[in-house]
Parts: sequence; C-alpha cells; structure tokens
Amino acid sequence: MKLPFYQPDAATSTRFLFFTGKGGVGKTSLSCATALKLVEAGKRVLLVSTDPASNLDEVLETKLTNQPTPIAGAPGLDAMNINPVEAAAAYRERLIGPMRGLLPEAALRSMEEQLSGSCTVEIAAFDEFSGLIGNPDAAKDYDHVIFDTAPTGHTLRLMSLAKAWDQFLDKNTSGTSCLGPLAGLEKQRVIYEATVNTLADASATTLVLVSRPQGAALREAERTSKELRAIGVGNQCLVVNGTFETDCPEDVTAQAMQQRGLSALTAASEFISSMPSFIVPLRPINILGIGGLRVLLSGDGQGKCVKADESGWTPPEMESLEDLVATIEQQGNGVIMTMGKGGVGKTTVAAAIAVMLARRGHSVHLSTTDPAAHVAQTLHGKVEGLTLSKIDPAAETAAYQGEVMLAQGAAMDDAGRALLEEDLRSPCTEEIAVFRAFAREVGRGTGRFVVLDTAPTGHTLLLLDASEAYQRELERQARSTQPEEVLKLLERLRDPDFTRILLVTLPEATPVHEAAALQEDLLRARIEPFAWVINQSLLNSGSCDPLLQCREASEHRYLREVVEKQAKRTAWLPWQAEEPVGPDALAHLASSSLLQARGDVIQTL
Amino acid sequence: MKTIQVYDPPMCCSTGICGTDIDPDLVNFAAMLSQLGTHDIKVERFNLGQQPMAFVQNPAVKALLDKEGAEVLPLIFWDGEVHLKGRYPTKDERPGWFRAALGKEEEAS
Repeated sequence: MKLPFYQPDAATSTRFLFFTGKGGVGKTSLSCATALKLVEAGKRVLLVSTDPASNLDEVLETKLTNQPTPIAGAPGLDAMNINPVEAAAAYRERLIGPMRGLLPEAALRSMEEQLSGSCTVEIAAFDEFSGLIGNPDAAKDYDHVIFDTAPTGHTLRLMSLAKAWDQFLDKNTSGTSCLGPLAGLEKQRVIYEATVNTLADASATTLVLVSRPQGAALREAERTSKELRAIGVGNQCLVVNGTFETDCPEDVTAQAMQQRGLSALTAASEFISSMPSFIVPLRPINILGIGGLRVLLSGDGQGKCVKADESGWTPPEMESLEDLVATIEQQGNGVIMTMGKGGVGKTTVAAAIAVMLARRGHSVHLSTTDPAAHVAQTLHGKVEGLTLSKIDPAAETAAYQGEVMLAQGAAMDDAGRALLEEDLRSPCTEEIAVFRAFAREVGRGTGRFVVLDTAPTGHTLLLLDASEAYQRELERQARSTQPEEVLKLLERLRDPDFTRILLVTLPEATPVHEAAALQEDLLRARIEPFAWVINQSLLNSGSCDPLLQCREASEHRYLREVVEKQAKRTAWLPWQAEEPVGPDALAHLASSSLLQARGDVIQTL
Repeated sequence: MKTIQVYDPPMCCSTGICGTDIDPDLVNFAAMLSQLGTHDIKVERFNLGQQPMAFVQNPAVKALLDKEGAEVLPLIFWDGEVHLKGRYPTKDERPGWFRAALGKEEEAS
C-alpha cells in the first residue's frame, strides 16, 4: 500500500481542522506542523488545544493561556489552551464576582462549591470550545482554526455534547429541567446549534484522524470515524504518522519494526482506502520547537541526528515489571492504577500486571476508566482467576438512572417521578454515573487485586478533581445515602498501601514531562505514585539502522531524568517486535529485563 | 393571585440531581410547583448558584442570609411572607399546600 505524503494545502484547507486520535499518535505535532505550513503560506491561524493535559506549550516552546498568544518565529500563528478547570474557574468568577460585597461570605462559598462539580467543569470547557466554532465573531481574525484535541474518549464527549444538550433542550417539556451549569449559559443556545451545523458542514470542517502504523491506533481511528460520522462530522481524512522503512536488512529490530507497521496497515486496508489517507515518516528526533515542526512535514530531509557520545554511558538501575509485582502482591489485595499520557502503553502494562498476579494465584479484576480502551483485545484470552470489565459511560448512565428511580422514585408521587426521570436525562448525569462507577471499581480492591487502566491524563485529572469536589460536598452533609465506596474513595486513593499508582511513560520528552506534571498534581491531592514504568525502550536493541540508533541515543537523557529526578522506583520494558497481545506475550513482557533485552529481539525472529 | 417564591440553595437543577444526594422531598416539591404553576398561582424560583442577584434584591432574603448564613436556604415565601425556612415541605405537608393554594384537594397531574 503506497500512500501519499501528508502535505496540508492552504488553497484547499477548510476553515476548521480537528486533529483527533488515540493518545500518543502525534496529534499535537501534526496540528502544530499543519498550522505552521498554513502560516508560511500567508494565512492567519489560531491553534487551540482542548486537552486538559495539553502539550502545546512544550511543543511550541511557549507559555500558553486560555487567550490567543502569538508564537515567536511563526508570525501569523496564535495558540491557546482550553483548560476545563480554568474555564470553570472563569465561569464561576463571572457569576460570583459581581456578588462580592453584596452577599455574605458563607453564601459565596456555597455558590463556589456548587459550581465546582464535574458537570460545571465539562460545560465551561464545552462553552469555550463551541464559542470558537459557533460564534461568528469569535475567531474572525483567523483564516483557519486548528483544534488539537484530547485523546479520543474525551473528544467524542466534547463534540457530541453540542448535540446532546441541543436534543435535551428540544425534548424537555416541563421547562424546569436540569440545565445544570448550562442554565447560566442558556442564552448561548444559538451558538450550540451553530456548532452542530458547522461540524457537519464539509466545506467548513475537516476531521483529521491521526494514527500510528499500529493495530490498536488504527482500530481506534476507525471507531472514532464511525462515531463522529454518526453525529454528522462527515468530512474526514486519515494521516498515518511515524511510518518506518529500513535499509538495514540484517538489523532484526529494524526489520521487525518495519514488518509490524506493514501488517497493521494491511489489516486496516479497507478502512484506509475508505477515505483520503496520507503518511508521515518516522523522524529520528523528538518534534519540539518551530525547527522540529518544520522537519516533521519536510518532504526529503529526515532531520539531522546529533548523536551523543556513547562512551562511558551506562544505563541507570531499573527493575523489571515482575519486580514491582513481587512487592505489590505482598499486600494480598488493593488497587493498582496505570496512569500517563495517551499512547504510552497503560493498557498493556495494566494487563501484564493483571496476568502476572493471576498466574501467581491471586484473584484479580482488570478494569478501565478509558471510554476508548481496548483491554479485552490486549488480553485476548482467558486467564484463571482474572475477571474483566469496562466502565462504559452509556451503560453506567442507564444503570444509574434505573437505580435512582428505584431507590428514590418509591418515595415520590407520579409527578415527582416524571420530573426526576426527565432531569436524569440531562447530559450531566453521565458525569455522576461514571464517577460512581470509578468509586465502585476502586472499592472492589478491598477483597482482591483490582488493576485499573485509566484514561489519558486529562480525563483522569478531571476524575480526581471530581473526587475532591464530592468529598467536600459530602463533608457538608449530615444525611447521606451514598454507598460506602463513594464515601471512602478519596481515603482509599490516598492510602499508599491500598492504591498503587504506576506512572507509565515512553523514554521521550513529552510523555516524561506530562507524567512529571501528573505526579505533581497527584502529590498536591495527597496521592503518592508507587513507581514509574518506562515502556517501549530501544535500549540495548543493538540496531544498526541509523534512525533507530539515533532514537535509542535520545532516550538516555529521559531515562536518567526519570530515575534520578522523578521516580522512587522505576521499571523498564523493552520495545516489542510484535504487539504484546495475549497472556503469554504479556507475561513475557513483564519479566523482561534490561540485560536480556538484546537476546530477546533475536529470539523473537 | 397567590404568589409562591422559592429561594433555593445553589444547585444544578430544580431536582438537585447533580448533587451527591437526591432529596425526594425536593423532587416532589419541584413537581408540585410545576403543577401549581399551571393553575392560577404565580410561582417564582431562584437558585443561588444561577440567579444570585435575586437574593440580593429581596431585602428579607438578604437579611436572613446575613443573619443565619447559607443554611437558611431554601426560603419559601407565600404572598411575600416567609412560610418555610431551611427545608422543603414533606410528604405529609404537601396536600395542605394544594388545599391552601387551590382551595381543594388535588394531586394528580
């Protein structure tokens, strides 16, 4: 399959461009490089990140806010982050600010608490997002608005919210319905309608599905494509980022990597040929700064690799995943959570730990909070003692609605039940239902091991934020009908003997720095990570391919950064010639150590 | 024409479903108000989280908030007089409300 090289064209590009896809596929790099191309063709471009854990700052080497900021070295390019927590703070301030001095402090505080819930956070971000698309005046100074979105699950929710609220308002009959925090924004309804229309207009909006030449990423792109088509976003194309070909026939690692990419593309050929599809080759360097971004879409040059002097460099001390498991299992029960940026392999690491614990005779439950996760595919097969589940937002919402009607509806008259049923259809209900499901999964760790694969950082941060907001609200209430697992959630997450958090990263700049920022956020919430896991390392791969050699050398500083600055304990996992799918491959991965790494690659082929 | 004014604590919706707990008295009360509103009764409802200005502009509400704090909410007024403070009417009280408001027993929607 020979696909054309991705070259954004100022003459044919739509006004709105959305870059979406699984975590770690290169959405931020590609959206920045595209913005740069358009700017260099004389256009004015606004680049917007909707990821709560945005990496635009690092890639553009510029401190960004929720207002457009000019980017040095790229005249005509402005960039901004829509940070949901900050958007919610601004929304709160809009309501509370004018009341200062007019209302007593206690009343202001209770307003603030109510407006700190996860639904407010979600709505406020959505409001800023749709303001840029649906309000004709908002971005009128720009020829193009490019959205670098959060990993899939979060983005689907953001894009479908416009429709969800629109439909909810349409179907609402009582006029006293639950608009939640939207009530303060209700006058914007015309903007939400315009957002829905613009997203569906092929002459205005392009959805760029970004993937890697990798099975899981391509499958997720295909799912996203279908879901967004279903809500009307029809003008789509695909960019496969990081394709790799080697000129090194004797290099087993390079051959395996090339082969792995080819098989993934072949398996997805039907999807790939269903829409305009393009490739961007793997580059030897981390794509950072304006210079790095130019390399990404340069047709010929692969960027110069400045190799560090190898002499005298010894890798820092790192454990195997099995070593971590041996410590964890001493407790006999508890929760293990994998966290980190999208695409770093959280699901793989979670599944490998679950398999290993189960094979050592423990009762294990493997679950995920990621709406776009592929746990079952990664596990691919039954393991004795291991059960599997997934927090499915739609199913959780339906179950929660049913549960509330059953528990509360009994004490109500018919009119009350009808009103409650109607309000429970509010899009806000999903936030509560997912939060409770998260608490339930954590609670299951009291009697066994629960391994929780979390959604990419941004989504997880919002979940933890909701936990704290709920805790504050619960503390104010005398009467509570909340289940024990909700009441104890934060206490359990903060107990280092009960919850073990593994920060998973690749040995690259952005994933390491995102994990470091996540660690700081966790520490602020009094949750201490147990260990870091470095995944897909090329260390000791012994490659003779110059591009891979260069990537291996560039790992060094990040390995050192993790071991020496960030982590209490660090486990190391090698890059795999085949996607680690199935119990045996996962167990094998977990027992890999740095010393045997080189032998393994040769054995696999 | 009778007037009912409700000054709710900050909450997401008339039924409070976005909170950590759902109060059946609150939900039934919301349903009752929407029924009364279809009769010859003027129902006004304000939520501190969404319409704080209404709390400032009503001197009685403002004075009570200043004196007793946010716990005084909800405040429910009948024809401008405080009728209930700090809670919603219970199941047993609701029929009385219908009688007082409509002059007859009526509960079905």
